[in-house]
Amino acid sequence: MVASGKQSADPHRPSEILETLKRLGFGVAIAVPDSWLGEILVRIEHEPTMRLVRATHEEEALAIACGTRLGGLRTAMFVQNAGLLSMGAGVVSLAQRYQFPILMLVSYRGTVEDPVFYHTPKGRVTEPVLRGLGLAYARSDRTRPIGPQVERAATYAEEASCPFALLLSQEDVQW
Amino acid sequence: MVNAARPSRADYYEVLVDTLPEHALVVTSLGNASYLWAAMHHRPENFYFEDAMGLALPLALGLAIAQPRRPVIVVEGDGAVLMHMGALVTVGAVAPGNLTVLLIQNGVHAASGGQPLTNANLDLAELARSAGIPRARNVATPEAFASAMGDHEGAGANVLVLSAKPDTEVVRPPIAFDPVLTKHRFMSAIGAPRYVPTMFGGGRLQPD
Repeated sequence: MVASGKQSADPHRPSEILETLKRLGFGVAIAVPDSWLGEILVRIEHEPTMRLVRATHEEEALAIACGTRLGGLRTAMFVQNAGLLSMGAGVVSLAQRYQFPILMLVSYRGTVEDPVFYHTPKGRVTEPVLRGLGLAYARSDRTRPIGPQVERAATYAEEASCPFALLLSQEDVQW
Repeated sequence: MVNAARPSRADYYEVLVDTLPEHALVVTSLGNASYLWAAMHHRPENFYFEDAMGLALPLALGLAIAQPRRPVIVVEGDGAVLMHMGALVTVGAVAPGNLTVLLIQNGVHAASGGQPLTNANLDLAELARSAGIPRARNVATPEAFASAMGDHEGAGANVLVLSAKPDTEVVRPPIAFDPVLTKHRFMSAIGAPRYVPTMFGGGRLQPD
């Protein structure tokens, strides 16, 4: 778990994520949507200080993110965990090999809290696959504010020079 | 499109050296796309791919977004672009006017020894146009390539499909191909902001 500050009920966790990204100077988000991510991406699209790029595939999104970070923009990605499973080669051969600090904000489908049954195969294997890839990650803690968890994940990515995946629940990210 | 008498990658690179726009940033795909370019025109503003086949084009798209005032040129192969054809759609949607895509069409996976492509005879310029990139054309000679590099008409990205003969003999690059060195050298050359760690009161990107 990502450690964070005092326990309290967030008024609206997706808003906290967006406000944290803006405060930390994230200039761009690269995304492949799922049903939980749809609305927060629309909100980002309307932010004057951020740009949203909609990619066709998560590994492609990862490469675009490496390019925007190479060009000097602090960069976040929004993808479903299916996307983490399909971007493995790009993670190891590009993002990790070149040490790109990319914050991955991931809708974590297929856990016991997810009501959609067909996501369960992805939920079962996501964390073992991330450990196999050596991709640093944490599950969000729903009992703590989400903003500080996003900030610590972003800090980890930059200070360890690597991509970092924060696995988010529905209430964290669905607007 | 692939045709019978084709120039070499080096023939096109000679033209590229002569026509490279001022302040251009160059991203090269894996294999000889990078090795030969490093041998012919190494500079800090080159970003060399070591592997990650198919990801040079989307990385260059990201770079073009982040550096809108600088021309970005990416050299990608036909086999690589077939692996991630969706990237053409994203380039078409973003339509960055500072991005030039040089698509070497040699009909093989040259970097892995020359295995034939699934389809070596696609009209890749037509494919790019269908993906939403109107400025896409096939080029068959270095002279036509030189002319195309000087043509700045139209909006959005520019895709030039360069018909070339395969070059499967590995070129030895004159520099170390250390990925992290490549990245830091590039970011330093373009003056990219530096991340200041939290223990020094940072936690943000700041101008270097």
